[in-house]
Amino acid sequence: MTLAANRIVVGGAELTWDDLPGLGLPSPAAVLVESGADALAAVREHALRGTELLVAAASRIDEGLREELRADGFAVVRPGGEPLAPTSRREPEPDRLWLLTSGSTGRPKRIGHTLGSLTTVRGPQAPRVWLCPYSPGTYAWWQVVTLSLTQPGQDIVVIEPAELEIWPGIAAAHGVTAASGTPTFWRQAIYRDLQALTQVPLAQITLGGEPVDQAILDQLRGIFPTTRISWIYASSEVGASIVVHDGRAGFPREWLDRSAPDRPTISVDGDELVITSPFHGAGLDGPVHTGDRVEIVDDRVVITGRLDSDEINVGGSKISAGVVRNVLQSHPAVAWARVTSRRSPLVGRMVVAEVVLTAEARSTGAGNGTAPVDNAALVGWCATRLPDYGVPRLIRFLDEIPAKETLKSDV
Amino acid sequence: MSQLTREHIRDLMGQVMKAQGKTLPDSDDADLREIGFRSLDFSELALRVEDEIGEELNFDAPGLRQIATVGDVLDFIERLQTL
Repeated sequence: MTLAANRIVVGGAELTWDDLPGLGLPSPAAVLVESGADALAAVREHALRGTELLVAAASRIDEGLREELRADGFAVVRPGGEPLAPTSRREPEPDRLWLLTSGSTGRPKRIGHTLGSLTTVRGPQAPRVWLCPYSPGTYAWWQVVTLSLTQPGQDIVVIEPAELEIWPGIAAAHGVTAASGTPTFWRQAIYRDLQALTQVPLAQITLGGEPVDQAILDQLRGIFPTTRISWIYASSEVGASIVVHDGRAGFPREWLDRSAPDRPTISVDGDELVITSPFHGAGLDGPVHTGDRVEIVDDRVVITGRLDSDEINVGGSKISAGVVRNVLQSHPAVAWARVTSRRSPLVGRMVVAEVVLTAEARSTGAGNGTAPVDNAALVGWCATRLPDYGVPRLIRFLDEIPAKETLKSDV
Repeated sequence: MSQLTREHIRDLMGQVMKAQGKTLPDSDDADLREIGFRSLDFSELALRVEDEIGEELNFDAPGLRQIATVGDVLDFIERLQTL
């Protein structure tokens, strides 16, 4: 294939796809990288030679997973180091790409794709400079990378893990006009240095990878009044399946059960999101139960969290952790919240929360300019918006918004 | 396991009430129904005690049947700590 002649900024250097070094990869290869440049070099090799490839940040692969890959025929390659030969040999599958799921609900699974199935943006695009803050090899990372690889005028600025706290400065210096990140990623950027964030000339903001709540959409709209703000539901299994541009959390109810050629069909089974997608991974054609929980609120279908962890049973009454989280995050003094449950002898589980206050609330010790924001203030806020069993009973205040390499908080 | 004094437990109970916008009366004879101290409040108090002593408390609903006043709550938590 012909590689698009786009600009790539990585590790402080400016280059193009053609400038990236050849790695001389065996096939199949699992390339465990420490840097974004090595990950892109592996992609280039796949694009030119069809090498069967799995690329992932080295930190995501433990010894057990590495040996599993070797037993499945992969040579395990660390750029600059000696490759580990497979412990079992097989014929390579040309043009096959493998992605690992985030593993937030257990061990990461391997999902088969091709450059074709990962390339979901095909029409002519306005020229953009994309930020790429995602961990190499994740579905969201591939979305940005395939855009740059295949579409003219789509430059990328790669953010290494060590640069995540200062990305707005790097983005502003290189003229980033489009950025995609989790709600946690955006909350961190607002919390750490709002002034620096406002210097990034963003024409497109995308959110995904976690449930997207109205509060973060509204905050970003306030900071970037003319920017297009979208949220996407995507996963390694079903690809990019839901894209919403209207600035509201959730998607319109009338999108359910609509079928059109080459478009995903979205359904709900009980309270689980079910998607039939043309962008699915290998062997996942037909309806896929996503494991994500939804609630229908008026005319919108809202994704609240993972089915196996979102629902909290308090003495027989059920409440969604995602709904409670959204209520907390809608408080003007709350920058971020995580809602979980704790075992309680009397009622089974109790709703508890962790919260990071906004810089303003922390510096003045006050929310809305009047009452101090403490446990009682947030409990009171929730009590007027939630049933009594859904009100978090213990709220721990943290100093920093926690995030993993996946840019998620595991909310 | 560290043990909380009756005053400390009363203080935690006051924090539970305060978070609900209520005030814990001084009298141990105060009726729980009248002051609005419900099972969720009792559960929250248990979590706060667990956090203080660093250990989980184990009790069930039948054990709470005889609890009607503030003093009963304090007695019950005090007794739980000695089990």
